[in-house]
Amino acid sequence: MIEDLVVGLAGSGGDGVVSAGESLLAAASAQGFHALMTKSFGSQIRGGESSCRVRLSTRKVLNPGGVLDVAVALNWEDFRRFGAELRIGPETVLIHEAKAGPPPQDLAPAGRMPREVIGVPLAELAKSSAGTDRAKTTVVLGLLSGWFGIPREGLDRGLQKKFAQKGEGLLEANRKALASGIAFAMEHPLASPRTLTLPVGASPKMLCDGNEMCASAAIFSGCEFFGGYPITPSTEVMQILARELPRYGGVVLQAEDEISGVGAAVGASFAGKKSMTATSGPGMSLKTEILGLASLAELPLVLLDVQRGGPSTGIPTKPEQSDLFAAAFSAHGDVLRPVLAPTSVEDTFRVTVEAFNLAEGYQTPVMILSDQEIAQRKETVDPIDVSRFELVERLRPTPEQLAGGYQRFSATSSGISPISHPGMEGGNYLAAGIEHDVNGAPTASGAIHAAMNEKRFQKLAPLQERTDLFERLGPPDAPLALVSWGSSAGVAREAFLQARMRDIPVKLLVPTLLYPVAEQLYRAFFTSVRAGLVLELSHQGQLYRVLRMFVDVPPGVTSFARSGAQPFRADEVVQRLAQQAETLR
Amino acid sequence: MKDLLSPNDYKSPLKPIWCPGCGDYGVLQALYRALSAIGRPPHEIAFISGIGCSSRIPGYTTAYGFNTVHGRALPIAQGVKLANPDLLVIVAGGDGDGFSIGGGHVPHAIRRNVDLTYIVMDNQVYGLTKGQLSPTSPQGLKTVTSPLGSIEQPINPLLTVLASGAGFVAQATPADMPGMTALIEEAIRYPGFSFVNIQSPCITFGEEDQQLKAHKSRMKTLASLGHDPANQLAALDLARAYGTELYTGVFYRNATPPPTYDAQIRQRKAELQRGEPRPRSRVLDGYLRAGGGPTS
Repeated sequence: MIEDLVVGLAGSGGDGVVSAGESLLAAASAQGFHALMTKSFGSQIRGGESSCRVRLSTRKVLNPGGVLDVAVALNWEDFRRFGAELRIGPETVLIHEAKAGPPPQDLAPAGRMPREVIGVPLAELAKSSAGTDRAKTTVVLGLLSGWFGIPREGLDRGLQKKFAQKGEGLLEANRKALASGIAFAMEHPLASPRTLTLPVGASPKMLCDGNEMCASAAIFSGCEFFGGYPITPSTEVMQILARELPRYGGVVLQAEDEISGVGAAVGASFAGKKSMTATSGPGMSLKTEILGLASLAELPLVLLDVQRGGPSTGIPTKPEQSDLFAAAFSAHGDVLRPVLAPTSVEDTFRVTVEAFNLAEGYQTPVMILSDQEIAQRKETVDPIDVSRFELVERLRPTPEQLAGGYQRFSATSSGISPISHPGMEGGNYLAAGIEHDVNGAPTASGAIHAAMNEKRFQKLAPLQERTDLFERLGPPDAPLALVSWGSSAGVAREAFLQARMRDIPVKLLVPTLLYPVAEQLYRAFFTSVRAGLVLELSHQGQLYRVLRMFVDVPPGVTSFARSGAQPFRADEVVQRLAQQAETLR
Repeated sequence: MKDLLSPNDYKSPLKPIWCPGCGDYGVLQALYRALSAIGRPPHEIAFISGIGCSSRIPGYTTAYGFNTVHGRALPIAQGVKLANPDLLVIVAGGDGDGFSIGGGHVPHAIRRNVDLTYIVMDNQVYGLTKGQLSPTSPQGLKTVTSPLGSIEQPINPLLTVLASGAGFVAQATPADMPGMTALIEEAIRYPGFSFVNIQSPCITFGEEDQQLKAHKSRMKTLASLGHDPANQLAALDLARAYGTELYTGVFYRNATPPPTYDAQIRQRKAELQRGEPRPRSRVLDGYLRAGGGPTS
């Protein structure tokens, strides 16, 4: 019996590979498994190669998994295009369309070629059972059910859901295809059988992706305005909000460009509403100037950047963690702008609520750095009790303050001044990108500029104390450290657990707050540390470098970083940690 | 009885940075008068601008002002209006702000027909940066960035805006204060996107024939030409004379203004909510149905 199964499927665009993955995911979720699915495509609008990987487990799924337990290739050419994303090994059960012929010799390096390779006449079985070879991915679902014990009822429910609208005939045909897959598996048992343990006492789960969680959290937080421009892979946030936000009384504007999108959002914030924009790399570059305006005018704003391969157009459909520098530093002048990163679909909800709270509480733009993997992977999520979240509203002037002598940028001990908005009598002021005095009047005075810079930095000082924005696991005095963020943190968590099982003396740090750097917290964390890794998906290792700007990172702690679209695997991280542990002896 | 607001109620204590004799002083005075005629209290007015000499104007009023970044006043103003359609939203800036760096936003603000008034103080030169070529500078103009004379044609703001479908398009000059005041007031009262191009002379870097004295002798009111502002084709024809003739008055006014973007948004929201907005705490309910997103 096994408790964890990672399945990867690849085919050409019309094969229905992703659709099959979704059926598998839905079935797993309905059965009470924890499950997660990532999709990967070529950049073609239609057609081209497509793939997905589904991981299901009786335990919480931390990441999409490493080497596949099961690989399904509808043809070899498309399968090979996903080399790094659909990694196979000797233990992988490799299932392929029989008529595609045996796997090419060079499919995997020597030693990584699967021992169990099964050619299945997928199209033929589909044709003979369902009457069309388009049902071949349903045959695959049948195979997975027969060989690995994924309950048939769940898969059947998935088929009903999918084909109910399309007519009884199509549903019946797919049921037959499913049955033929199961029958084939029964007739051809695996050489090394493995069956999934079924979850017990499973509770209902949500099934959603990171963009859905972000949009939902924005609604929950009280967002009333979204301005944006379509860009992969963040567009779904605008699409969901366009559909949902008006029902909650909000407005969504599809602007003419990225600049206008963030501009309208800043305008709405000036008008007193919680406001948001979303984008990806190139849009982040374009929005920079107006982010600076929001910082200087002290206007709350949430900006989601779903990172993808960069720079420029880069790889729009693949994840990378290379926008941290841009998020933290892309501004002229002295600017401090909080940057948060979610580490999973579920976490995206918490982080988005936090982003709105920080934005409103500190009257500042706040960046959320998601990435393509988290944003677009579908995942089972335990129901979220939203009543445990507190929502922060911006500090408004009191009636007394509005009755006379109101100063928009008044000097306060916290650095946070009460903020009025148009429509509020007595709160009239001039907001500006020009440096201003306490009343908002433009100034070129160096002394006032220095005082205002101090105010804008000082108000964010309490962020340094937010230890709740950091996940720390393992013995505090461990000599080995593993630090990671965003989607890579899921791999880091699994690597950490595996390393602990092997008695590697490691501790884990996963920051939600990336910037400003919580200097004290890192210093304390690194006190016991002599070696370790900062794990992240970018060529430069951007968090590692940002940390070194502010903290004396022990020389033994090195950057484990590589360019996007090549996700880390827990086993390779454990291996590195083991090597580092050796050097400590 | 409601207290009447005087022009002085819209005047802030800040002293303009403009050069003595700048046309923008006249625009500011006309605006005070137009706003007092309309009578909305200053706190219900949001006055948005970009960057440039003229973009300083919100600070000289008692309205809520937002002096934003170069060229982005229109996007920001639309966000303000859509977030709170009850506000009176005015946008102002120069020819560089509106038709050079921010030119891409103009047709989109027009096609959305958000109810705001866009006042451009057009002086055919960059004043704040001291005398460079602007998008409305006449061809051949010698400036510090076009020492041999400019090669490119000027943009025609009136044609641009008319061709994009604006419902209200007018031109004014501070050489005719009553006329300019009346046009600003009419523009603000127009339900939808309205545009007033004000030939506002730059006394420091402007050409001799662009000064108030020259305006006085050159200007011709469109009314005196017998122009019917409801005639869009005639308006387009007359607008072609931008740069050669100084026509003032209403070029075009849509006799049957279509519903504004903000009005339609408001109506849709009311229909979707059927009285009550949904409770935001229930936003995740839909995801609990495995495999499904939120449904209505």
